[in-house]
Formats: sequence, structure tokens, C-alpha cells
Amino acid sequence: MSNKALEVTNLSAGYGENDVLQGIDLTIPPKSITALIGANGAGKTTFLKTVTGLLPGRTGSIKLFGEELTSKKPYKIAEAGFALSPEGKQLFPEMTVEENLIVGAHNVRARSARNQTLEEVYSLFSILKEKRNDPAASLSGGQQQMVAVGRALMAKPKVLALDEPSLGLAPIMVDRLFESIARIRELDLAILIIEQNVFQVLEMADYGYVLENGEVTISGTGSELLANDHLKRAYLGL
Amino acid sequence: MDPTLALHVVKNGLLIGGIYGGVALGLSLIFGVMRIINFAHGSMLMVAMYLAWGLWAGLGLHPYIGAIITVPALFGLGYLVQACIISHLFRREKAFVVEPLSALLLTAGVFLVMDNLVLMIFGPDVRAVSIDLAYANFFLGDIPINIPRFIAFVSAIGVAGVLSWWLKTSDMGRAIRATAQNRDAATMVGINVPLVYNITFGLGTAILGLFGALLVPFFSVTPTLGLAFGIKSFVVVVLGGIGSIWGCVVGGIVLGLFEAFASQFVTATSAQIFSFGLFVVILLVRPSGLLGKA
Repeated sequence: MSNKALEVTNLSAGYGENDVLQGIDLTIPPKSITALIGANGAGKTTFLKTVTGLLPGRTGSIKLFGEELTSKKPYKIAEAGFALSPEGKQLFPEMTVEENLIVGAHNVRARSARNQTLEEVYSLFSILKEKRNDPAASLSGGQQQMVAVGRALMAKPKVLALDEPSLGLAPIMVDRLFESIARIRELDLAILIIEQNVFQVLEMADYGYVLENGEVTISGTGSELLANDHLKRAYLGL
Repeated sequence: MDPTLALHVVKNGLLIGGIYGGVALGLSLIFGVMRIINFAHGSMLMVAMYLAWGLWAGLGLHPYIGAIITVPALFGLGYLVQACIISHLFRREKAFVVEPLSALLLTAGVFLVMDNLVLMIFGPDVRAVSIDLAYANFFLGDIPINIPRFIAFVSAIGVAGVLSWWLKTSDMGRAIRATAQNRDAATMVGINVPLVYNITFGLGTAILGLFGALLVPFFSVTPTLGLAFGIKSFVVVVLGGIGSIWGCVVGGIVLGLFEAFASQFVTATSAQIFSFGLFVVILLVRPSGLLGKA
């Protein structure tokens, strides 16, 4: 067992002739929250797409607790223990809330523990238990985001990635969501979170990486980043 | 119209309509999940019927027993056509939906190859399975009901029921529905999407394997029978609402009843003109089909 939950070295990837990611190095320790920060177009979502296997990497390697994920098929990567709650939720709109969650536990490892994980997700987001039989499309934006996070948790991930979970949510829902994420950390997994709410996420995060033009430019602990002058000017508007 | 005659017409329409619905189920499933119109759908039914006929003529197997072979054989055929031919489209086009035209052209190619291969091997002769059951009837009141047609009708409803139940409750069924609703999200939750496509296509054609065996006792086989069934299946799927399993059965019955009534007034061939007219009218009123979502 490696002491690195996720270890990305020299990863580059892109679309067409352009490399969006230009040699990313990033490490996530187990049982931690790591924030990935960057402006629009910096390559955050491309990075996640590459790790999930939706986009093939061009150079470099991705390891999950020492297990090589590079150039594996997406479903193999999910089975290995990497789960993503994608930007824009991407639910199955005509399926019920519960069906969305159950589909999340599709991989072999998660399937046997499905009912137990379902109860865990319901205790984390009690509103979802109330709405379990409603079609996912009928829920509010905040509730849909909970389904997306819950669905990723259903895969029994070792590393959970959350892509812009607060996007488009009312401030009170953002607060609640962050509370839930703080509780997810107790579940003994490593969380990688991409956020526009830089201040809020860095306060919670153990580590942070700043991505600019496809490269990691700054990294450090959450409090170090909060104190960083460049970051303050560029992202916090201070 | 004389009431007794009307009852007979309704019976004929219901029976053939249910069968239309059953034959179209696979087309609807494949279109619902993959957004591909399988132009070779009818030809695959034709292949299934030849297979059922061959098993009867060569080995003396009753077509209903032959179904034990035709169903898995047609599953394999569909699985292979998807895995070896159509899957390249999905790999080439990273887009969410495959260009419908390229898939249509590709499956039209499969249709041409299959029809002509069968023509090459068996020639243009009409083949028929002759078993006693073909002429067996039971009576519902005064109305004789042809047993093999009735079995095919009941099977259509049974297959529709089992299929929708399976899609709702099984892990693979849920994975198929998830893939239909959001292919990228399905990939992200760890569903092996190419495998789901292969299985979906295989299932859609496996149903044809069953109906091939159920049809041969009362329907003779020629290499060109596929196109007519394919077009009717397409009409049925669009009538009922694309991707809707029960819509497919309803669409089939509507088409069957209409054809049965129309053929009382004009010849059976001209009746088909009217059924396509009905198709246009229904789509003008309900563009999403009878049971489709608006």
C-alpha cells in the first residue's frame, strides 16, 4: 500500500493538436482534502477527464495507491477506486434518485456493499431519502448536486473527485454542501475538490494546488495558500 | 360493416398487430439506447426465419424448439454486427450522439449484404415450414383463432413485459437505461459502455430470433421479406413513441387494426398505402408518437 492516494506525474493531455495539460505533478495523501484551483480554461476539468479515462493522457502516469491507472479503460478506473462527481451534475434525468444512486455502485467492488453504502449516503443527505422515488430531473439544483456526490460515493471510491460542486447553487446550499463534504472526509477517503469558491475551499482543504495554463504554479497547505500574495490578488480579490 | 365480419377483422388486426409490435421491440430498444436506426432489422428477422426453417427442414426440429437455437444465434449475430461494424462509428465520433445518417448508411450496407448473401445461398424460392399446428384453431365464442398466430401475439406481449421489467430491475438493465440517458455519465460511474452497446444490440436482435421461429409456421420465407418488415417496424416504433417498450406494442396493434380494416375496402397491397397515410396523420397530431414523451 502506497502512502499516496493519487500520484500524478508529468501528465499531459489535450484536444486536437494542443496540449491543455502540460506536465502536471500532483499528489494526494490518503484521508485528506486537496483543493485544485484555477481560472476558467486552466485545465482543471481536462485534468479530471484524463484521470477518469474519458480523455487519453499523452505523457506521464497516474497511480492510485500505487496501482497504475494510465491508459486504462474508464470502467477499470472506476473499479480501481476513482470516482468523479462531474461538473454540471450529469445525472440520469429520467431515473429516480435511488436508481441514480444504485447505478453509481455499478462496479464489482461496490456492488456487494450497495445497500449499506446507500444507507450511508441517505444519512449524509437525508433529503435524498425523502425524494428517493422522484425522478432526478424534478429535484432542485442543490438536491441534484447531492445526488451527484452521493452517486460518486456509491462507487466506494478510494479517491473522490468533486468538480465544481457549488456551481449554480444558492449560498445557503453551498454552505450545506460544504458541511456534507467535511463529513465525507470522516469516511476515510481522499477528496480532490475543484472549486470557484476559493476562500471557502482552502479553509477546509489540507492541501491545495493552483493550476495556470495547464501547469501547477503554486502548491502548499491550505493555510499557506490562503496567505499567498499572488493567490490573494488573482483569486481572492484581496 | 357486418358485425360478425367486423369482429373477425378486429381479431385479425389484433393478432397481426401484436406480432408487428413484437418484431419492432428490438428496433425500439436499439434506437432508444444507441440512437441508431438499424436498417437491417427486417433482414435479421429474415435470417432468423431461414434459420428456423433450416432447422426444421434439415434436422426436423419443430420451430418452437428451434427457438432454443435461433434466439442465441441472433443474439450473437447482433452482438457481432455491433462489436465489429457499428462500434467503429462510436469510436470515430466522440460526440454524445452518433451521426444518425452514418449509422443508417452503415446498417443499410449490412442489410444489402445479408439479403444478397441469403439470395445467393438459398435462391429466390419461397420456403415454408409445414406443420399441423399451422392450421389449428381454438374458438372464442364463434370466432376461430389461429393458434400459432395467437402464440406469437401472446409472446409479443410477454416479451414486452419481461423486457421492461428486466430493464427496470436488473443491474444490466439499469446500466442500459443509464447509458441511454447520459452516455458520458454512464462511463464515469464505471459502466462499460461499449459492452452495454453490444449487449443491447444483441438483445434487440435476439428478440428477432424468437419471432423468426414463431412466424415460420404461418409465414413463408423469401430473401426479400426483410425490407417490408423493417419498414413496418420503423413505422411501429415511431407511432408508439421512440424507445417506449409498451408504445411499441400499442403502435403495432394500431397499425395491424388499421391494415385489417383498410383491406376490407381495398386490396391488401393498397391498404399499406393507407397505413403509411395514417402514420403521417398521427405524427402530425402527436409528433412524439402515441406513448412517447412530448
